[in-house]
Amino acid sequence: MTAVPPTTIMSGRYQRAFTIAVVVLVAGWHLAGAGGQLLDYRPAYGSFAFQGAMWLVMALGIAAGSLLVLRGAPGWRPAWAVAVIALAASTAAAAASPAAQMLAVNWAWGSAGWMGVLVLLHRRFAELAWFLAAEALATLGVQVWDGLDRTNLAGFLALLAWSTGAQVAVAAGVRALDLAAGQAAAAAASEHAARERAATAEIIRAARHARWLALQEGAVPLVAELAVGTADPGDAQVRIRCAVQAARLRRLLAEGDEVPGSLVHELHASADVAERRGVAVEIETAGALPQVPGPARRVITDAAIAILTAARSQTRITLAAVAAGIAVSFVADTGAVVPLPAVGEGVAIEQQEDDGMLWAEARWNSR
Amino acid sequence: MEQQVTVAIIEDHPVVTEGVASWIRSDPGQRVRLVQTARDLTGLRSAPRPSADVVILDLELLGELVTTQIPELVAAGYRVVAFSGHSDPVIVMETLDHGAHAYVSKDEGRDHLVEAVLAAAADRPYVTRSQARAILADRRPARPELSQQERQALLLWFQGMSKASVGRRMSISENTVRQYISRVRAKYAASGRTAPSKDALLARAIEDGVIKPGEIMPYKSFAQAAADYPSEGAPGR
Repeated sequence: MTAVPPTTIMSGRYQRAFTIAVVVLVAGWHLAGAGGQLLDYRPAYGSFAFQGAMWLVMALGIAAGSLLVLRGAPGWRPAWAVAVIALAASTAAAAASPAAQMLAVNWAWGSAGWMGVLVLLHRRFAELAWFLAAEALATLGVQVWDGLDRTNLAGFLALLAWSTGAQVAVAAGVRALDLAAGQAAAAAASEHAARERAATAEIIRAARHARWLALQEGAVPLVAELAVGTADPGDAQVRIRCAVQAARLRRLLAEGDEVPGSLVHELHASADVAERRGVAVEIETAGALPQVPGPARRVITDAAIAILTAARSQTRITLAAVAAGIAVSFVADTGAVVPLPAVGEGVAIEQQEDDGMLWAEARWNSR
Repeated sequence: MEQQVTVAIIEDHPVVTEGVASWIRSDPGQRVRLVQTARDLTGLRSAPRPSADVVILDLELLGELVTTQIPELVAAGYRVVAFSGHSDPVIVMETLDHGAHAYVSKDEGRDHLVEAVLAAAADRPYVTRSQARAILADRRPARPELSQQERQALLLWFQGMSKASVGRRMSISENTVRQYISRVRAKYAASGRTAPSKDALLARAIEDGVIKPGEIMPYKSFAQAAADYPSEGAPGR
């Protein structure tokens, strides 16, 4: 089966929507939030050019991270490469900020956290937690280096609660939605499967009913006649009728539930007609048969009809999977070769008449 | 005249047992003698030594598939001819792999069962059309490799030609057709799980000149096949 289960398609569709939302959120934050703050405090930085360069590095990191997540769940190496770039750039930006105003003018912490959310979103939650903790510790480290008093500790905690809190909330929210989408998709899939089962059951029921009807018109009256004695097993005609009905019963039992439109199905239909005329028909298959295109099927069934019409009392039809195609053969008591085309629509037909028995084979190759 | 082959029928439907017994009785040469019938395997299991040369075994007894019981029967010294309505190639292959000498479908019984029993008693291959069908459908990676001629003979036999006609079609003698088909069976006896019955079939095939020891390939995995395995040597196992 090459079909992708509907569950995967549906939950994949939802997941992609969440991923796009997070990409937009992170890019928007970096552009408007962090970028706005950077421009606002432009005079406060020692070197605006350095801050601008770090902002650009992170913007490139966000672009790379977005590409990664839009192409599917990234592996740990590329995901953490982007995360480490975010951590390094934001720490460098913080370290290069004026000591007294570091937290006030820090634009990078928030962006770095969002970058972590972006690339680590679909990985284990612990990885994101480690990243956010490392980012917070790095910022705190810079502040400790610059000198930590009660005011800026309070500022740090407030920023931590605000930015990291929001990032954790978004990550948790997306996870919950992912889960819900998975459940919804699974529910839809099981409904789909139930419908498919019901349809299959209906097809099987119809096929069984058709078989039962076929028995009603053929085998049942014959058995009844034998039982009451109106049919004499010593009579050659009765024996032929028995042979035909036995072949038919065997065929009905072996038939399974063929896909309508298949070559086997069409040959069965041709056999039915011959059986009404008193020819016992066996149909057997060997191997996984390839699908034969319509025109080639027609050539084969035409040959089948010609042979079945010429057969006096018995025909064995076999379908065998052969290298690159199918060999459909007929062994029948026609007494002579049957006028058939030698080739047509990619089908080659050979015949041999031997001791009153005809052997004919129609071969179709997929190449 | 050769000694009669003794046979036991294990079959849970009395009407089928009766039918098989009538085929045995109507054999003009009276070559087979029915010595035991049973509806399950308990009687055979408790016997101290094989009570018959060949067991005709219905593969489904009282609703249960008994293919996995074949190795036990074979180990006890019976030759098993499976006789079943199950013509699913997978079941046929499993039956042969477990050590049955031959497989005869219920449709083929009248024409083939007695002959298959006689062949089994002599440890000679007997390939019915349903067996040919299962071999043609075999796509397992560990299947024996068949030559083009062997495959063609098997296909024509499955298609319903007599062996004489197959010979005329392939421009070879009827005897060569038998040889090809028997060789296919011998190759299967040399593959898969081990069983004394398969060894006996193989030994007889070598003795009869159906197959040469060098033609018997041991099981080749895909990896080994690439590594050009030497074809000379002991018969596989």
